[in-house]
Amino acid sequence: MKIADMIRKDLKIILSDKKALVTILLMPVILTAILSSALRGAFSDGEGIGKIQIAVVKEYHIEEESEKFLETLKGSLLTQNMGKDALDRLAEGAEKFDIEKIFFKEFLDSEALQKFVEYRITDEENALQQLRDKAVSAVVVLPRDFVYNMKINVVTPFRNQVSIKVIGHPEREIGRQIVQSIMEAFTDNMAAIMIGKNVILETALSNSLGTDAFEDMEAIVDRINNELRDIEVEITALKAEGRRQVSSFAYYAAAMMTMFILFAAGHGGRLLLDEKDNITYNRMVIAGVPKTGILTGKFFTIFVLALVQISVMVSFSSLMLKVYWGSFPAVALISISAAFAVAGIGAMISAATFKSGNDKMANIFETAVIQTMALLGGSFFPIEILPSFMQKLSIFSLNGIALKAYLKIMRGYGVVDILGYLASLVIVGIVFSTLAAFIFNRKGRGERCSA
Amino acid sequence: MTILKVEGLYKHFNHIKAVDGINFEVAEGEVFGLLGPNGAGKSTTISMISTLFPPDKGQILFKGSSIGKDAKSLQKKLGVVPQDVALYPTLTGYENLGFWGNMYGLRGKLLKQRIEEVASVIGIQERLKDRVDKYSGGMKRRLNIGAALLHKPELLIMDEPTVGIDPQSRNHILDTVLQLNRQGMTIIYTSHYMEEVEYLCSRICIMDQGKIIASGTKDELVEIIKGQQQVSLKLDKINDSLVERIKRLPGVGKAEVVEGEITVAGESVDGILADIIAEVGKSGSHIAGIDVRKPNLESVFLHLTGKALRD
Repeated sequence: MKIADMIRKDLKIILSDKKALVTILLMPVILTAILSSALRGAFSDGEGIGKIQIAVVKEYHIEEESEKFLETLKGSLLTQNMGKDALDRLAEGAEKFDIEKIFFKEFLDSEALQKFVEYRITDEENALQQLRDKAVSAVVVLPRDFVYNMKINVVTPFRNQVSIKVIGHPEREIGRQIVQSIMEAFTDNMAAIMIGKNVILETALSNSLGTDAFEDMEAIVDRINNELRDIEVEITALKAEGRRQVSSFAYYAAAMMTMFILFAAGHGGRLLLDEKDNITYNRMVIAGVPKTGILTGKFFTIFVLALVQISVMVSFSSLMLKVYWGSFPAVALISISAAFAVAGIGAMISAATFKSGNDKMANIFETAVIQTMALLGGSFFPIEILPSFMQKLSIFSLNGIALKAYLKIMRGYGVVDILGYLASLVIVGIVFSTLAAFIFNRKGRGERCSA
Repeated sequence: MTILKVEGLYKHFNHIKAVDGINFEVAEGEVFGLLGPNGAGKSTTISMISTLFPPDKGQILFKGSSIGKDAKSLQKKLGVVPQDVALYPTLTGYENLGFWGNMYGLRGKLLKQRIEEVASVIGIQERLKDRVDKYSGGMKRRLNIGAALLHKPELLIMDEPTVGIDPQSRNHILDTVLQLNRQGMTIIYTSHYMEEVEYLCSRICIMDQGKIIASGTKDELVEIIKGQQQVSLKLDKINDSLVERIKRLPGVGKAEVVEGEITVAGESVDGILADIIAEVGKSGSHIAGIDVRKPNLESVFLHLTGKALRD
């Protein structure tokens, strides 16, 4: 009961401190609104700009489809009245049209694209595994009949559907979007060539310049075009495993929240020192409150404070920014685990500042440790843009762990998928609480009325 | 009946003997004074009685039970007014009293009733809803006392409760102490203000350098320097040779420079006052004022230690 009284009193003190309120509650709200709005266009998910890895899957069979094209050409209405020489010329032209060379050598290997993209050709199963492992940002699938259809589209007046699939990972949304844009650029160019070709061909036919090979071509092309009116080159963008995308608002709401709950630890870390300076610590001891009870009170004050921050941020972002946080029980579970970890760190800082008699420890935590954790944990920008060694260090950032858990739930993963993160947060809380108790109960040299 | 007994108490901090083997008893219903200059060991003594830290040696008995073995039994019946204001400045007076009441297990209607009673005793009813950081120094001191009264302690320890406040608040606090004592509360009052201890306390221990150098009622203590008078001379200039010459005068017990004045003690200072004035005249100094005093605790302390209480 006394612990509840201490928590209530501490919260009153903190909430009566306007400066603390601004830092703890208002700043994350403001920063979320600013950052997410500012980066809305350039950023939609947990990924930054770098050299994007793509896996390309070739579902087509080039020789088989080339052969099939020639047979189609020979048996088609287009060439029924065409002389042998004209037909050979047409077949030769089709042979020369090497879509594979155009796509890989002239397009993906171009100097401009090499700056952004690295690709590897593999089978579908392997590509999807690499995507799951986040070894690649997207998988590009060149479908069955890709060569055949492209030859039809380029060599004849006909237009067949070519669907290039771009499969992205929900946690590599920027990469997927860039790959999609690249594929769109390719198909747009191809479409422009086809349209140009068709215009020339139709003009030639209308002026009887198509010689015997293109007699009655206009009528034939019209008929086929009528049948294939809706067919055009398109890109299908899919998300791996059907997960939700995370908007910049959602990302920064979680990122700012997980960073700013660390300030609860810093702020709470000064509470014991304040009690010592105000002599109220001694007064509580005289009143019969056990030392461990006092430390426990600080732990739960920080815990409740972090939960208040989380509640404010989740409510604000849900109502004002329309952020979808995912399943409530899962969000509650992450929030409690994160608050527990923050409370453990806060209690440790509290014990250390109490013993040292100054708030250097809390200052260092707020000025250096939180900023470093924020950088490594992805609170300012997604960690994917950081060098790989820094990305590995992100496991040491409490906010980074919590952020990953929140993002997973936002993307539609289940609690099972975040158990590792939850366990990490709980372990952090336990380790730091134990450390706090050890530091607090350790008798200092020359310690007088404080213990 | 003895409510508190201190036996052979020692406390050292590194190489400093803060409390050096003291013994005293406090009777139920009395105002017991601990008098001594800053650093005499008063606060360390009351910190040990308050269970803040244990003594290196010796024991403290509350109603016959050692508090080292059962601190809880004392803590429930003990109220402590710390030397510094131990309150939460950003909370209101009411919130502060409420919190400290909670710490002593008071809740609900009983807590509310006690807050009102205590606020009345310390005279801050009108300011209860104000934040403590808006209070004057005197009001903070009064609230500091109030926080120790909520649970109706049997024994109240007040450590220098009037330091740094205005005379009006000081008088209010002294009256409050007497009022509480009249209601049956036993009080241990520590101060380096001789007049306060003289005014309030029925029995007094004088401490210096961690030891008790004298104890008893005021009259018993003054008896130590029976027949001694004290005269203070305010001079425009004082030199060591003048003090030495006054010391050598017949009938002079002690001659010291205290707070810019020469304080002379002797069995009959009246009789040698003319000789003292003559010595001052010879030294070339001019007398700005003379104050002849009857023996008091200040004189006793000066007699026992050779220094003033405020040193």
